[in-house]
Amino acid sequence: MDENKKKILEMLAENKISTDEAYRLLSALGTEGGTSEGTAKSGTAAKMKSKYLRVCIVPGPEHEHGDKADRVNVRVPMTLIRAGMKFTSLLPPEARDKVTGALREKGIDFDMRNLKPEDMDELIEALSELEVDVVSSDGDTVKVYVE
Amino acid sequence: MKRPPMLMHVKIRGERRGFNLWIPIFLLLPLALAVFIIVAPLILIAIPIFWPSGWRKRALHIFGAVFEIICSMRGIKVDMQSDHDCVYISAI
Repeated sequence: MDENKKKILEMLAENKISTDEAYRLLSALGTEGGTSEGTAKSGTAAKMKSKYLRVCIVPGPEHEHGDKADRVNVRVPMTLIRAGMKFTSLLPPEARDKVTGALREKGIDFDMRNLKPEDMDELIEALSELEVDVVSSDGDTVKVYVE
Repeated sequence: MKRPPMLMHVKIRGERRGFNLWIPIFLLLPLALAVFIIVAPLILIAIPIFWPSGWRKRALHIFGAVFEIICSMRGIKVDMQSDHDCVYISAI
């Protein structure tokens, strides 16, 4: 039992506080502990859970009988994405400048020099919430998600 | 510790020809280690040559990153199929 709860029960036993007050104080303590533990647990669980990035393309019912029924099923480990992104920090400055220039030509204002390891971690963590689900008029389905 | 994949399955099928290959990476790892031991003296000679250019640090980082990428490949699966062609790559 933690120290605060013990104190509240002692105060109740000594009749310093009423049962209602004790109940309120205990529930307030419970919520505080519960939320922080819950958030930490859910965060860790999300990290542990998301292991693969999946890309699936499934042909629609119109293609069931044969012609041009392309199927794609790709599973990329998240660790591979993380390792690949670390590789960008090893690019020589000249190559980074070239990449930045090429991106700017395409209208993307993104400087690779500003990409820090913390940002990469954040980006990969954010990927765990990614979900793309596209259904074409032919019934073909494209799904991108993290599992 | 991350371990590199033990087996790689590559299956490619075209309209006429195709192949199905199981690559035992666990057998290639001792071979790679043997090659590394043979090449080690050359690396030791190269280190003082490239020391002033600062290339050594970058080379070590690249070596580490490549090893990490190889280890992270465990679980990768690429499966693409069309009416006649099929590409399947999997690392176990």
